[in-house]
Amino acid sequence: MADRTKFLESIRHRTRRGRYKPTKSPDSVWTPGVDRPGREEIEDPPARFIEELEALGGHGERAESLEEARDYVLDLAREREAELLVRWDVGYLDELAADEPLREAGVEVALWRDLPGLREIAARADIGLSTGTWAIAETGSLVLEHGPGRGRSVTLLPPTYVAILPADRVLRAVPEAIQKYARGTLPANVCFHTGPSRSGDIEMSLVVGMHGPGDVHVILIG
Amino acid sequence: METSKPARRRDTEDRRREGLESKVEGFNERGRKAVRDRKLHDSISLFTNKTLTGRNAQLGAHPDAPELRERAYRTKQETMANLDYYLSQMADAIEERGGNVFFADDGEDVVRYVGDLARRCGAKILAKSKSMATEEIELNHRLEEDYADLGLEIVETDLGEWIAQLAGETPSHIVGPILHMNKERITEILSGVSDEDLPPDVESLAAFARKRLREKFLNADIGITGANFGVAETGTICTVTNEGNARLVTSVPPVHVVVMGIEKVIPKFEDLSTFVQLLSRSGTGQKITVYTNFITGPRGEGELDGAEEFHLILMDNGRSKLLGTEYEEALYCIRCGSCLNVCPVYRQTGGHAYGSTYSGPIGAVITPLLKGDKEAKDLPYASSLCGACTETCPVGIPLHDLLLKLRNRQVEEGMAGRAESLMFKGFERTMKSPVAYKAGAKVGRLMQKPFAKDGSIEGAPGIRGWTDFRELAPLAEKSFRELWKEGI
Repeated sequence: MADRTKFLESIRHRTRRGRYKPTKSPDSVWTPGVDRPGREEIEDPPARFIEELEALGGHGERAESLEEARDYVLDLAREREAELLVRWDVGYLDELAADEPLREAGVEVALWRDLPGLREIAARADIGLSTGTWAIAETGSLVLEHGPGRGRSVTLLPPTYVAILPADRVLRAVPEAIQKYARGTLPANVCFHTGPSRSGDIEMSLVVGMHGPGDVHVILIG
Repeated sequence: METSKPARRRDTEDRRREGLESKVEGFNERGRKAVRDRKLHDSISLFTNKTLTGRNAQLGAHPDAPELRERAYRTKQETMANLDYYLSQMADAIEERGGNVFFADDGEDVVRYVGDLARRCGAKILAKSKSMATEEIELNHRLEEDYADLGLEIVETDLGEWIAQLAGETPSHIVGPILHMNKERITEILSGVSDEDLPPDVESLAAFARKRLREKFLNADIGITGANFGVAETGTICTVTNEGNARLVTSVPPVHVVVMGIEKVIPKFEDLSTFVQLLSRSGTGQKITVYTNFITGPRGEGELDGAEEFHLILMDNGRSKLLGTEYEEALYCIRCGSCLNVCPVYRQTGGHAYGSTYSGPIGAVITPLLKGDKEAKDLPYASSLCGACTETCPVGIPLHDLLLKLRNRQVEEGMAGRAESLMFKGFERTMKSPVAYKAGAKVGRLMQKPFAKDGSIEGAPGIRGWTDFRELAPLAEKSFRELWKEGI
């Protein structure tokens, strides 16, 4: 078993050993040429987000209001013949007020709370519903911050996954999103979730919904 | 100049008799077999071509690509120069978040730590997400052997890795572990663990795997992942997957163990911006992978999923030997696999010919460095030195220079054959003395006579290893000096 002090001391000793400084010659392939693409301006981040997400096989939707988003969720639950929906226990989804109409339509709704067998519920659910903290236009990614009431399993275990967030939460590019977490205390888990889970391990053929949801919907409000 | 001479092939026995080939099976034997495998060829082309097309499109379209590469290189350089500081900072950050940190000198330390942890937790099922660091130390195999009394079930959860595990094979590519298998072979493997014969279509095969692995995720006692990056400042572990398996094994099981090579540390969370942008573009041709997951310690207060216990194992296993040496840049690698995809040797032989965990140019560089020259004597020669690897590397590792340095090192260590050493000593003497040079040219002209045909030398003993595959022009009838004397 290695002792921390000894381990680090030996590394310190070695880094100082030679101070070898390689001389790097410029690499023509990576050196910017004249025909290099210009920095692209993303004019309308929500539109671009939807475009990117759709290109990956996800579904992006712009809704005027929470009511419109609620109807989308109801229609989707009906279409997928869902029996059980599990959702984050957060204020924004209370405001969505989809629980009652869903129950009336015969869909059981479970909240991510300290319940017995919570994991089994999420594993059995047909639909997972959450919000998103940010979205990224350039890549079609959703930025998920987890915490109390904001379970990771909700976004992972059900085959269909829906996220709802305000359209003004769409950032332009990945560095901007990373910058949001560069200061202050990080949540135990942040995830950039980009479209349906996929695998190309068998002969490079696309398999959608490998371990995570294959049916991904993001609704931008406003 | 175009050459018309067809390369003659001789079998291994021929070469062995001439002492050109070692007795044990090395890269040359394995590679020669692989080159004749048509099916393997098709599989490699399918993967590498598709991935490279995506890579070129994505990096070519990124306006900041050259700057990102430069920044990645500089960041790694800075990190390696102060590696002890960053590792210490990372360990502190994780302990502050209630996680545990363990420093492992080698694979044995890692096996013991994970095994003891499994014993303490009373664990039965260990769900693993694809990790090259654990492949390198054969963690699965070693745990099953050394901790046989625990009856552990260790399950790989990446589709490709799981299939490789079932087949008892090692991954043949850093990113595409089973790119060497076709659908028929995969159907055979999966049908072997199923109650029924599976149809040979990708959807059914994946559905079967999904169902089997879902059970494992839900019942796993410990989740094990590698780390694509580790952030010193915050203690954050970043993993990237497309399937979601790394996210599942860190979200569902109560214990999460990370096995991370010490070179994976980067200073700040912001630095992820550089590396995340480069890794997926270069490795798979995606702008970003489906799940780019950032884990910082165990689950937070009031959280209902995520691991309650978090363990980070910082593994050296030979890496620190490279620090401060001319091989340090080999530690900058982010394991994107792009150098494999472009390598004309890898593309002919596939990964298994290398006989090591890491294949392709980066494998040929780090295997002898981590395991010693004797273990991987022929790998630095598994390259045409064309430099395509260096050109594609998203962090600017001069791979072909390092391969050349390794060849040089072997010679200095006296690992070159006697005949070769003698020949080059003779060459050196001849070139140093005008008298010997003149005499040598004369002797050479005489000796080449029986072998010089159509403007090239063929079949001369001692140099056939070269002339069988390359053109060697014969010495001219008269040297320049002689012509000069005659007034040209």
